[in-house]
Amino acid sequence: MDVIFQMGVSGALMGLVYALIAYGFQLTFATSKSINFGQGELVMLSAFISLTMLNFGLPYWLMVPAGLLCGVLLGLVVERVAVRLALEQKSEGWILMTIIVGLFGFSAAENIWGRDDHPFPTPISSDPMQFLGINVTPVELSVAVGVLSVMGLIELFKRKTLWGKAFEAVSADRDAAELMGISAKRTIMLSYGLSGMVAAMAGILVSPITTVGPTMASALILKAFAVAVVAGLESGFGVVVIGLFLGALESLASFYIGSGWREAPGLILLILALAMKPNGVFGKATIRKV
Amino acid sequence: MKKILVVALLSAFAAQANAADTIKLAITGPFSGGSAPMGASMRDGAKLAINEINAAGGIVVGGKKMKIDIIERDDEAKNDRGALIAQELASMDDLSGVIGTVNTGVVIAGDRHLQEKGLTKIITPAAGSASMTQWSKAGVADLSIFRFAAHDGIQSAMVVTEAINRKFTKVAILYDATNYGVSGRDDLLAQIKAQGDKVEVVATEKFAIGDKDMTAQLLKAKAGGAQAILIWGIGPELAAVANGMAKNGMHVPLIGGWTLSMSNFIDNAGKNGNGTLMPQTFIEEAISPKAKSFINGYHKTYKVDRIPSPVSAAQGYDAVYIFAAAVKQAQSTDTHKIKDALEDLKEPVKGVITTWKHPFSKWNPADVETHEAFRAENAVMGMVKDGRVVFGSEADKKRFIQQAQ
Repeated sequence: MDVIFQMGVSGALMGLVYALIAYGFQLTFATSKSINFGQGELVMLSAFISLTMLNFGLPYWLMVPAGLLCGVLLGLVVERVAVRLALEQKSEGWILMTIIVGLFGFSAAENIWGRDDHPFPTPISSDPMQFLGINVTPVELSVAVGVLSVMGLIELFKRKTLWGKAFEAVSADRDAAELMGISAKRTIMLSYGLSGMVAAMAGILVSPITTVGPTMASALILKAFAVAVVAGLESGFGVVVIGLFLGALESLASFYIGSGWREAPGLILLILALAMKPNGVFGKATIRKV
Repeated sequence: MKKILVVALLSAFAAQANAADTIKLAITGPFSGGSAPMGASMRDGAKLAINEINAAGGIVVGGKKMKIDIIERDDEAKNDRGALIAQELASMDDLSGVIGTVNTGVVIAGDRHLQEKGLTKIITPAAGSASMTQWSKAGVADLSIFRFAAHDGIQSAMVVTEAINRKFTKVAILYDATNYGVSGRDDLLAQIKAQGDKVEVVATEKFAIGDKDMTAQLLKAKAGGAQAILIWGIGPELAAVANGMAKNGMHVPLIGGWTLSMSNFIDNAGKNGNGTLMPQTFIEEAISPKAKSFINGYHKTYKVDRIPSPVSAAQGYDAVYIFAAAVKQAQSTDTHKIKDALEDLKEPVKGVITTWKHPFSKWNPADVETHEAFRAENAVMGMVKDGRVVFGSEADKKRFIQQAQ
């Protein structure tokens, strides 16, 4: 019985990282109906930049805000280079463009930092603590705290500030919002900046556990995508629930079915969600007027 | 016009004459990625030996001093890249030999192209048993592939003996899903049987390259009551296992293949790697004058204070000297003649690991040891201690000091 809880809890904590990356998809989708397919590379690049800052002697607690700022900048670069033109032309060009920008970032990382995995030092201990017979490390708990607080802050920002309300207005109806004098362009930039920041947070949180390398996000991003699709591209609460669920499910599958089957339940879940709830479990069915 | 043609022809001849003045030696291995500590150390160790030989004027072949010319290829630890590189090397007419390859899968994918052409290759440091047993299974009568590494047969025997000596009765076997890991698992299981089934295997679990979360595998081992984890994999995943053990409160020894000495295991596992045991053929300690000058030379040339994989570096270094001795004995750059010389090296070769006396003999498909240089006495248990690999016990250190003389 202990094993079920141990596997479930450690899986669920990793699942929160999927949720955070999926949340990054949601942010940009809400305002612009576009997604950065190079989000994984933003996670990886931010992690590398943060590691470089640490190596230059920046203390951890200063590195976190600096790393997040880099994430924001990277997000804005993606918006400017890959998304804006495509949106102006009302084309789907951003699909290919974001993939290209991601590949470019990947090659740059390989050339700058090499192909090897590097350990990511953190002042947070990785010695296990016991909770009701379950081993949890402070690093894992920091992932949970970090994910939930970043998402909480952004949700608060969307509800309580003027810019946040603009964000919500553009998400609800872009044309109407523009008629009210809200700049959709700026709001989309804001959403890409926030999405980049979320990616940087994911990178900083997950690196002490997974190490930093050019391929560190390739597995994460697929699962984050599954979480976003299963949860629906509207609900922040939804990605957390589905993220926790998928993480725990993977972990349990790898224990009870075999480690080679780790990914299988997640994929089955994805197929079921697409077949039965194409707008996501927490999504709303939208009526598209023709 | 005629003049230009003559000049062109002459210079072409000159270039040819120039080419024939060197001994062409290819060095292949993964110089990037998870296996890079082994590949790059092997290459750098080999280059150190080549530079020494070239600085002394080269090798006397047919009354003429010839230098060694290096051809480098990065196989990225990928089987398909390895096969392509082997095909390329096999198509070179003036290549005298190949040294290298780290990954057993790459050896299996590539070496048949070399063997078809009879190109002499010294495998180092790939240790997987299948690299050589594939030839004995095929019953090849004449083999141009040699191995210069403590093969997994030796290593798995040492690992199982260690577990038995420590009075363990229950162990778990973890291995990665590559050719190396799977063949390591088979070797371990065979050794446990051969040594009298004194330990019970409570879990046999695999993991994939790139896996970071080993909780499932480790909890299976824990649930079975494993007193030690016997493991076959490479650096990054081994580190994930060591970190996972700490996280799950498993305080049992990690014993496994020599890859547990890789820098990317030691660095990524940090303090969780302390006490890990693995067979080694070379420890980065100045136990002999030769070892001292080699270690210092490596540190100075490559500006490091720790060799990323000391075993690979030392084996790469010694392999070049053995190859050079074969060239000298054959008095030829012809790869077939070098192969014959390697099978019957008359003069002992003073290396950094030991003095090699007749390391190889005429290939016999019934006995792979004929093309294996290392015996059990050439290996020792190493232990990770605070970021370095040290001798596992004082008795082993004494034995090695004696052999190095």
